Amino acid sequence: MSLVNYQTREITCKIVYYGPGRSGKTTNLHYIYSQVPHDRKGKMVSLATQTDRTLFFDFLPLDLGMISGFTTRFQLYTVPGQVYYQATRKLVLQGADGVVFVADSQARQLQENIESFQDLHQNLSEQSVDPRSIPLVIQYNKQDLPRDLILTTTELSDAINFRGVPDYAGDALHGPGVFETLRGISEIVLKRLSTPSSAR
Amino acid sequence: MIRTSVEVWIEEPLRRFVDDASVSLALLLHPSGQVLAQYGFTRAMDIMSACALAAAIHVSAAELGKQLEGKPFSGLHHAGKVRQIFLADARTASGAYIFLTVFDERSSLGLVRLYFDEFRANLAKAAPLPSEAPEPMLNENFERELNKNLAVLFGRA
Repeated sequence: MSLVNYQTREITCKIVYYGPGRSGKTTNLHYIYSQVPHDRKGKMVSLATQTDRTLFFDFLPLDLGMISGFTTRFQLYTVPGQVYYQATRKLVLQGADGVVFVADSQARQLQENIESFQDLHQNLSEQSVDPRSIPLVIQYNKQDLPRDLILTTTELSDAINFRGVPDYAGDALHGPGVFETLRGISEIVLKRLSTPSSAR
Repeated sequence: MIRTSVEVWIEEPLRRFVDDASVSLALLLHPSGQVLAQYGFTRAMDIMSACALAAAIHVSAAELGKQLEGKPFSGLHHAGKVRQIFLADARTASGAYIFLTVFDERSSLGLVRLYFDEFRANLAKAAPLPSEAPEPMLNENFERELNKNLAVLFGRA
């Protein structure tokens, strides 16, 4: 749940980038980190293996500035995508206000995407979070790769996005789609703070 | 002086702990990594990073404890050359929290543990029962401000 400090008028939200291994979750955070001015971000914390695979999580705090009179901050996390880090994924997912599912557009990775999406739903359910109600967007990353290696966003949407959540084509390495994805999840997460709880 | 406290009831127990134990930094956070109160930090971004790491250490230690002893470790102490950290959980009627404190030669582990027990008891006494979810506070047209701020962040304004 978003943390709201009424005294100092601050809102803090936790966004988790989820998806299969090597789909580009950390790359999304690196791109955001490279674009945001120094005074609007904290240090990017990466708990990674020696080969730079995420071991526990990556973490990037962002200051979004004033929204409706509240200083609004986002905590961006990634989870390790490899199947054997299941326990860690559950821990990082705890208390998430929103999830960005980063899918790998490569055709040969389709099954990994589907399994990771199912894994997300299962982990949310185990934490008593209704997977259908948590703010979620999908990014189809690596759309910059040669056409014969990847699936189109339509094909990926048909395979993964059965909930019909907002989805975006992405090239996290070079930037396209990263901003749009972050804006998409930010809108949905903050929308919950402008909607009566009975109507959520 | 308490610089940040999300809920008023935390302030007095934390202020007493900081004064009595003579620590240099203190953080009370939710297990998800969200800060509830802090003392000693000067940058909000540093607080968030410390909270994320503290939550990770705590939950890792708990899991390790479960594997080794069948029950989670509830406290952890690390002594550096100059500074030491003490991390432990604090349960109240309004939920379970994680407490992290940093201290140097002006204090000691014994002192910190002694006053932490007192802090935990004071916190439990002061904690209100869980309340209803807060009502919405953002304007309906917040998207305009959000889009403007994000555009500035990404140099697109």
